[in-house]
Amino acid sequence: MFGFWKTWKALEARGIMGINRRNADYVLKYNKRSLYPIVDDKIITKERAIKAGIHVPEMYGVISTEKEIEKLDDIIGDRSDFVIKPAQGAGGDGILVIADRFEDRFRTVSGKIISHEEIEHQISSILTGLYSLGGHRDRALIEYRVTPDQIFKSISYEGVPDIRIIVLMGYPVMAMLRLPTRQSGGKANLHQGAIGVGVDLATGLTLRGTWLNNIISKHPDTTNAVDGVQLPNWDGFMKLAAGCYELCGLGYIGVDMVLDQDKGPLILELNARPGLNIQIANDCGLTLRTHAVEAHLEELAAKGIKETPEERVRFAQELFGHIHQPE
Amino acid sequence: MRALTLHLKILITILVVLGISITAYQIFVLGIPVTEDATDDLWNIDAKVEFVASSKDPVKIQMFVPPLNRDYVSLNESFISNNYGVSVNRVDGNRKVTWSARRVSGKQTLYYRLVLTKRYSGDKTKIKGPVFRDSIAVEGPEKIAAEALLAPIRQHSADVETFISETIKRVSNANDDNVKLLLAGDPSTAHKAQIIELLLSIAHVPMEKVHTIRLVADQPQTPELWLRSFNGNDWLYFNPETGEQGLPSDRLLWWIGDEPMVTVDGGKKANVTFSLNNSEMNAIRLAKLTDENTDANFLEYSLYGLPLQTQQTFMIMVMIPIGVLVILILRNLIGLQTLGTFTPVLIALAFRETQLGFGIILFTVITALGLTLRSYLEHLKLQMLPRLSVVLTFVVILIAAISLFSHKLGLERGLSVALFPMVILTMTIERLSITWEERGGGHAMKVAIGTLFAATLAYLVMSVPELVYFVFTFPAVLLIMVGFMLAMGRYRGYRLTELVRFKAFLKAES
Repeated sequence: MFGFWKTWKALEARGIMGINRRNADYVLKYNKRSLYPIVDDKIITKERAIKAGIHVPEMYGVISTEKEIEKLDDIIGDRSDFVIKPAQGAGGDGILVIADRFEDRFRTVSGKIISHEEIEHQISSILTGLYSLGGHRDRALIEYRVTPDQIFKSISYEGVPDIRIIVLMGYPVMAMLRLPTRQSGGKANLHQGAIGVGVDLATGLTLRGTWLNNIISKHPDTTNAVDGVQLPNWDGFMKLAAGCYELCGLGYIGVDMVLDQDKGPLILELNARPGLNIQIANDCGLTLRTHAVEAHLEELAAKGIKETPEERVRFAQELFGHIHQPE
Repeated sequence: MRALTLHLKILITILVVLGISITAYQIFVLGIPVTEDATDDLWNIDAKVEFVASSKDPVKIQMFVPPLNRDYVSLNESFISNNYGVSVNRVDGNRKVTWSARRVSGKQTLYYRLVLTKRYSGDKTKIKGPVFRDSIAVEGPEKIAAEALLAPIRQHSADVETFISETIKRVSNANDDNVKLLLAGDPSTAHKAQIIELLLSIAHVPMEKVHTIRLVADQPQTPELWLRSFNGNDWLYFNPETGEQGLPSDRLLWWIGDEPMVTVDGGKKANVTFSLNNSEMNAIRLAKLTDENTDANFLEYSLYGLPLQTQQTFMIMVMIPIGVLVILILRNLIGLQTLGTFTPVLIALAFRETQLGFGIILFTVITALGLTLRSYLEHLKLQMLPRLSVVLTFVVILIAAISLFSHKLGLERGLSVALFPMVILTMTIERLSITWEERGGGHAMKVAIGTLFAATLAYLVMSVPELVYFVFTFPAVLLIMVGFMLAMGRYRGYRLTELVRFKAFLKAES
């Protein structure tokens, strides 16, 4: 019992945020329930982003009824790679990534050959709400398949690595690169076994990572070092993330982005309840940073100033950036 | 945010204070027992009246019965007498029963039975009594003797109380010549009491004779005489033999005054014998009985006022928040992962029907078989609703099979399964299988075991009989629980499992 208390105190001193605090102080406080559909439904997110001029993967089409499944062929056209997603999926479930065509069949990104019927069944499952939060009827989204930038070749296993930045009231507070592993089956979700690697907000240099709640510095599949990698176009990512506050109006979000080798940084989705493992990846607690942002916001409110995304990024980079990694 | 916190704090305080004060009121003012096992003494007093009736005259027997206006509550009173008319009336603070019959002969026996309890006696009524009385006239040597006795009594006393006890002490001194003269060779208690009354009346101190019965089981008894005087606030009781002050708590006041307990017209050799016995009775049943027999009805607005059938439902219902509280603590404080929020509570409710051990086995077996079926159905690529229906039907068939099987084996327990909520099982299977596919078997097992553990714990807590009784009897406790839940709603400390989860930080540090 005493040991627990010591751990408790130590974690508190480092500003580690627990689920209860995240829910009570950030999610419930900054995220208005009525705005949830914007982030919960990827189609709405996408439409909003396009309107705001934020880059997203191109949407090929939407299937919202069983009848419309027939239109699948028209939507795909003669494209050989595409992604089918549930609009309201959670945790990367129900996503089907088609990498190639093989005769009359399709090949998924993991090399599995599936038939046209199987794709239709998958879409039908999506429509019945199998993958959606709360089991509601859902829509299927067919979109551009992101080709990850070559930089990630050595430190990821299949799949698309993505970059998650936690944004509080438009201020990026912490960033993480998520690398799929063999265990995660090409998905970039940490609870499925992907690696989270911390990223220095100022420079875009990667720090050490977390895998299954442990701190690591090498990719378990490729054994290449995951730290010290310079992410290209980092400021672009930061601005993209900071701009998402205006896009959705939610104050505490996790912005998931990818780096496409042709189209650069793209926003994949927004998350109203971002996970806490980013803290382990960055070896840093969220609470200290969010408190700093909240204090800054109070200061600004007193002066009546509203900052632009660029100013917010600069503020965050100055305050939270340039971390010297202990060797 | 701060205003919200204050608002919440006030709300919590109000709820908790309200809950505690209602419960405290029930416990301390109404005297509702805190546990179901609390018992109370229940006294059963039989007064047997025997007399010989003369065959010529109509018979009329009058007997005092306890006035029952203080300290005790009568639960049942009966007059057992064949062929007699019975009437009860109140005279000067006494109650008198009158039995009458036109034509009876020979030895007669009548019974008066009283069942009473000390508890739940309700509010004490304001008592009134005389503070002054006229002197009883005495003449000659008695007057001189009385005055001679009174002089030192006056000297040795300060107030009414000491005056009376001094008087009793003097009169009890049989060697005193004055006392001897006044007693005139009759040292019985009754006569002594008369002398005491005489002396006190000369000093204008009012006094009453009260006849009491001692509440002690299985002992022959005769009414015991006590004296009492009103001091302006309360009655002071004195033992005329010893001068001892204060009526012991086991005395039941039967009647007041000089008259004998029984008077018989048209008969002779009247005799009363008492027999008492006590039994213990469940306090809450006693409370219900008291409610029925008096106008106290302090259970009127409790859940005990509901019909019995509804009461049983409520006994389960009031426990659901307790179960939810257990889940809340397990999830938000400990960080246990369960399948859904309230599924464990529903499973815990199902355990009520099946008993715990059997319920766990059943749950495990059905879920395991259901998962097998579900993984087979996965290959058929069915849509969600048809698939769920198939699983549900399968669960029903499974339960039917288990019931039949266990019945054939003579295990009646298996039949209780019929009420095991099938939909809960189906949903458990469905969600578990989705978890299995998405997060892997290990995680699904973890969640399943977490759910089962939470359900078991919730069941165990929900079926503690003392707790069921307490919550059912004092539903205001639920308000306190709401207060706790509200507080939990803004709890932002770590969950116990997070301490383990974030251990990596501390390792890196050291």
